[in-house]
Amino acid sequence: MASGSLSRLHVVSRIAAGTLGGYAFTWGFMAVSMALLFAVGMPFHDAEALSTMLGFLLFLSVFCWAFAAGNLARVWAVLAVGGALMAATASLLQRTLV
Amino acid sequence: MFQNFRLSMAWLHTWFGLVLGFVLMVVFFFGALSVFDREIDRWAIPESRFAPQPMPSFDQMLLPVFQDIKPLPESIEQAKSRVNGPMADTFTPRRYGAYTTHRDPVLSVFVGFDLPNAKDPEDGVFGVRTIDPRTGRALSDDHLKIGSQFFYPLHYSLNWHWLNLGTWIVGFAALIMLVALVSGVVMHRKIFRELFTFRPKKHTQRSALDLHNLTGVVALPFHFIFAFSGLVIFGGTYFPITHTQLEPLHELHEKHEAEETGLPHDRAGVPGTLASVDAMVAEAQRRWAAKGMAGEVGFLAVQHVGDANAYVSVYRAGTDRVTLTGEGIHFKGATGQVLREDPPFTAVASINNFLTGLHLQHFRHWTLRWLYFMGGLAGCVCIATGFIFFVEKRKRQHAKQGASGARWVDAFAVSTVTGMLIAALSMLIANRLLPIDLPRRGDWEQYIFWGAWLLAFAHGIWRTAPVAQARMAPAWAEQCWAVAGLAVAAVLLNGVTTGDHLLRTVSSGYWPIAGADLVMLAATALAVMAARRLRQRAQGHALPRGTGASGTTGAVRA
Repeated sequence: MASGSLSRLHVVSRIAAGTLGGYAFTWGFMAVSMALLFAVGMPFHDAEALSTMLGFLLFLSVFCWAFAAGNLARVWAVLAVGGALMAATASLLQRTLV
Repeated sequence: MFQNFRLSMAWLHTWFGLVLGFVLMVVFFFGALSVFDREIDRWAIPESRFAPQPMPSFDQMLLPVFQDIKPLPESIEQAKSRVNGPMADTFTPRRYGAYTTHRDPVLSVFVGFDLPNAKDPEDGVFGVRTIDPRTGRALSDDHLKIGSQFFYPLHYSLNWHWLNLGTWIVGFAALIMLVALVSGVVMHRKIFRELFTFRPKKHTQRSALDLHNLTGVVALPFHFIFAFSGLVIFGGTYFPITHTQLEPLHELHEKHEAEETGLPHDRAGVPGTLASVDAMVAEAQRRWAAKGMAGEVGFLAVQHVGDANAYVSVYRAGTDRVTLTGEGIHFKGATGQVLREDPPFTAVASINNFLTGLHLQHFRHWTLRWLYFMGGLAGCVCIATGFIFFVEKRKRQHAKQGASGARWVDAFAVSTVTGMLIAALSMLIANRLLPIDLPRRGDWEQYIFWGAWLLAFAHGIWRTAPVAQARMAPAWAEQCWAVAGLAVAAVLLNGVTTGDHLLRTVSSGYWPIAGADLVMLAATALAVMAARRLRQRAQGHALPRGTGASGTTGAVRA
């Protein structure tokens, strides 16, 4: 641990950002990626598989980033807002397709 | 939170690696055993010790077996909450399936049934049976396939099915494995040098770290690919997007698919007949042979049983390549006419099936299988030495401060590393000692597994107390002796109770059993070596340096 001044709340918040925030962001990415790839003509299961594979690599990256980044508020903002925006885009895309 | 990137990665590696390391240890070890799950099944069920068999005749043997199978009482019990009103008395079969591999003497068959009044019309109940494909005779349900039904699911679900929690914990542990690999590489920049560094004569902390780095780096691609492909295989469980948010898109695709493939998605509702399935299998084999592919049937399924829309799918056992493949050929049930031949994989599917196949190992290649086993054990060594390094680095300071952190980590480490071996070996011993006709015999074997592990855990907590005074924990050496004793006992009991002792199995070349016995004897030798080394270290304990506990043990034993 870098310094003793770290509050417990800060550590818990970082762990939550990495896991829950990372999960939400990954969900959003996978959903929008599946919908987009399907929309541009990729077979459904291919879109699903490719998005899943890329999604787990993305989860790994954002998880590490959540701990390496200086500004925790920004981490939360990017993961939560980004995840929600991507998930919403996926649902909108789906509405145009189905 | 941290001064720089490397410090943040070191923090991640230490703390997440420590906490999830206990789960990863179990996943790697039982994953390594799963490489030989069918062989462990043979060891546990002596009546199944005969040569692997091809898929038997459907018309002559399998059809009467399928027609005789009823839904499992457990399956009906679990479905009670999924129906409106009372549970039906009779169930109509909807789907037949038979699955085998090149390592299976016995055949698993499966029947899916309709669930009348189900809340979800797609829902159903199921029945299973294991048969001797030479005679069609059913094997006792009370005999647990310890390899494929206990150790194998343990490595991806911890056999904890409530809310799927075990699977989620393993999934998170797999993500942390990837994080630990990335952060480990960031922490150590001299990665090439670490490939060649192991100083067993240095003090425990140093040699544990050497071995941790060595096993981590040597098998780095193996560790990464297995954690990653494991996540991808369960991708739909961890991110059930196409069954929740994108369900409408999924349904749209399924309708398109049914139109495109010509394979009916639903039943017609009109009774239908089934032509000779053996003739369909012969046609499928002719088509595979024409492509120059190995032609044993791995999976045979009838969909929409008894309906005019019934169709039969025949898949190849993909023993000749790594990728998960089947080259499925589908026939109209009533006529035996070919409806569809699965097209070659797309690029994405090729990558996905290669990753999946790499993890699931349907191939016939014994050297590769042993490499997998060694890779899994290298993962265990890496994790175990990680624990030991953690303890060695902190125990003196903790002793000075009166903190007990290092002691508890050592207690958990010994209970996980050697405790897990004690549990597995106790289960095998129970398998040889419990009366053959004991009702729910398989359940008793599982209770003994968990009970033995609990005992090892209690012992681990008790006998790691000296770590709190920065001394060595006697628990490691004692549990090593226990492992050695149990492993020898298991081998001897196998010889005594079944007559398949090593002299006979080795001379007749029956490697599934000989291999299991030999691995247990090798474990004995390593456990004895480790215990003796630990004693030497304990005796040299008075020296100021070179104190050390369990460095080599955890490593060697894992």
